[in-house]
Amino acid sequence: MSTHTTAAPQMPLALQYAEVAIPGIGVGLIAGAFAAGVAAMAGLPAVQIATIATGLGIPLALLGAGYCVLLALGKFGVGAVGPVAFYWLVGFPLARLTDQYLVATVLGHDEILREPLLSFLAFQAMLSMGFAIGFLWLHERIAPHLLIRIKDHNPVAAHLVERYISQATALEERRVNAKEERAAKRGRRRGSS
Amino acid sequence: MDSSDINSDRPLGRDDLSGTDAPDAPVPAQRGPSPAEAGASDSGATDTGASEAPEEERYWKAGRLEQMPIRALPDAPPSVHLLGPTVFLVALGVGMGESYMWPRLVLLFGPEIRWLFLVGVSLQAVVMLEMSRYAMATGESIFFGAARVFKPLMWFFFVTAMLVYIWPGHLSAGASAFERVSGIPWQATAVTGMLLVGVIFTMAKVIYNLLENVLSICIGLLVVGTSVVAGMVGNLADLSSTITGMFAFGYFPQEALSAAWFPVIVGSIAFAGPSGMQQMWYTLHLRDKGAGMGTHIPRIRGLAHAGEQETMPTRGFMFDTSKPEEMAKWKGWRRWVTFDAFVLFWGITMLVTISFTVLAQASARFDPGVVDVIRDGERDAALDAMAASFTAAGSPIFGTVFFLFISLIGLNATFGLFDSFSRGQADMTYFFVPGARRFSMSKLYAFFLWGVILFGIGVLLWGPADGPSGILDTLAFLSTFAMGAYCVTLLLVNNLMLPKPIRPGILTNAIIAFAAVFYLGMLFYSLFAFGVVVS
Repeated sequence: MSTHTTAAPQMPLALQYAEVAIPGIGVGLIAGAFAAGVAAMAGLPAVQIATIATGLGIPLALLGAGYCVLLALGKFGVGAVGPVAFYWLVGFPLARLTDQYLVATVLGHDEILREPLLSFLAFQAMLSMGFAIGFLWLHERIAPHLLIRIKDHNPVAAHLVERYISQATALEERRVNAKEERAAKRGRRRGSS
Repeated sequence: MDSSDINSDRPLGRDDLSGTDAPDAPVPAQRGPSPAEAGASDSGATDTGASEAPEEERYWKAGRLEQMPIRALPDAPPSVHLLGPTVFLVALGVGMGESYMWPRLVLLFGPEIRWLFLVGVSLQAVVMLEMSRYAMATGESIFFGAARVFKPLMWFFFVTAMLVYIWPGHLSAGASAFERVSGIPWQATAVTGMLLVGVIFTMAKVIYNLLENVLSICIGLLVVGTSVVAGMVGNLADLSSTITGMFAFGYFPQEALSAAWFPVIVGSIAFAGPSGMQQMWYTLHLRDKGAGMGTHIPRIRGLAHAGEQETMPTRGFMFDTSKPEEMAKWKGWRRWVTFDAFVLFWGITMLVTISFTVLAQASARFDPGVVDVIRDGERDAALDAMAASFTAAGSPIFGTVFFLFISLIGLNATFGLFDSFSRGQADMTYFFVPGARRFSMSKLYAFFLWGVILFGIGVLLWGPADGPSGILDTLAFLSTFAMGAYCVTLLLVNNLMLPKPIRPGILTNAIIAFAAVFYLGMLFYSLFAFGVVVS
């Protein structure tokens, strides 16, 4: 698979990153707005639906977009679990805290959290591992399809597609090298015995 | 049983349908394929018997059935991966056991009872590894392996699958949950769902690819969604007790040893992770994924594309275990499937069940009356009570979201079970029912798929969804008995039908033997001590 730039004027860099961020925004919105969408089905007042959508959906979508941008900038490895888990270890509790604060403020609740702040954050941080894996799973299922589709007019996406390909190639090379090393080691052992 | 290697003077191509007679000139040791042979493995039957016939076809003899030609093992993919056939086991495994049965036991006996869940899921992870051993080494399903040991063993699984999985009762929980959310009668949802599954699988070019995509999205949504909702209704104490409870080894309250609860606990352990025959079907998904020697076997196509279905070879293949480079590839495949078993299957099952247990504990905190309803054991009432407690605690959305999760689990199970059942029955029929090879694998698959769908619709509309009440106990018994039986089958198949270098080690054999004793022992103890099968 090769990438190429078109003669047409390039879209602004910010837009290129925004386009690459669509899968992350999508997954974040799906996750955050899961409850909000159902709130509509359950016939809740519009204010409550909007609050839930804004309070949880927007932060998760923004953080999802942040992940994609950092991925495009090369701060995260393609499909790497560790950095994503760390990212959401911080991001998920913050999104939940924003949600709690916004819901309490808009609906006029006196109590923002049902438990002490530290317990709340620790609990959310522990759950963030599940969220991170689910996020990555969905992202890796959706993003490559979109990136391949937009790479012709979006150099950031094209670069990311190249990284996906080169990562697959590098993994393959690493495996071949490891195999050769093992074979050489065996050969040396045979030679010495 | 002697598993020696055999040479034959008659080359068998991969699509050769006539070769059921075993070549009969034994040689003492297995040898590697010639370059011509290795090339042939990628290009199929026409090459093997073409102008440059291989000098000497080598075979691996396993049991009394047709011997397996030696072919090259493909290179293993990187062991760390995100997507693969595990998605089927997770989709099938994360079902009622995780979302209802174990949360229920936690509410009744405390989170310490979860150590039994940990044992159950860990055993299933090892079973999964051992199922993959035979499937990846030969490209054959475990059913074929069972037939190589003793054909009636395979027919037992064929009959058990027909008896246990033909009833559409498994659809009722998900469809009932959807009824709570949407008001649409559950029978209508279930019938529509079944027809939808039938049409989608009929139109799919390669069924495996479609199903892996659909289930991956569903499982991803489930993992993300349960984390979010557990984060909204649970607290640190719920999560801490859920996790620490998993390590309370040996905890077993007196009440759990009663006739009322012991069968429930046995059933819950059997439902921890994939239950019944789901692990056996995993070997068919591995094959269609092209894992190990499965790469030499064509994939099943939807009925609409049956014309493009490649002819199935009449048996699997073996790789040359005497060659170090082939064994290095094999180790790569074992690393790949170990990651699948322990990180994806074990890890994701744990994450989802932890979230569901947190939800259950939260529901009991919001409304202590939930525990009484759950104790009564009526599943729909218990799910209602849990949803209602979330509604009371926060807003109606929590209850609705809870029902949506149950619906999503039901959808996963419908997709996964219908595909798996049809795949397993078509496999056994194709290879072992005389005359069945006149039909392609995709036609047999479609026959079983539409058979179970039409029967299911008929039963949903006019009959008992779980099966006739008179045989319910028998079905429950068979489902759990099959789990003990497949552990015994695994021991036999992997130790007698595979070449020595790739047979399981003592520790693995001990764990599988323990699993057999564990499942069968508890089943029979429940039966003889309390006169009740699992429930």
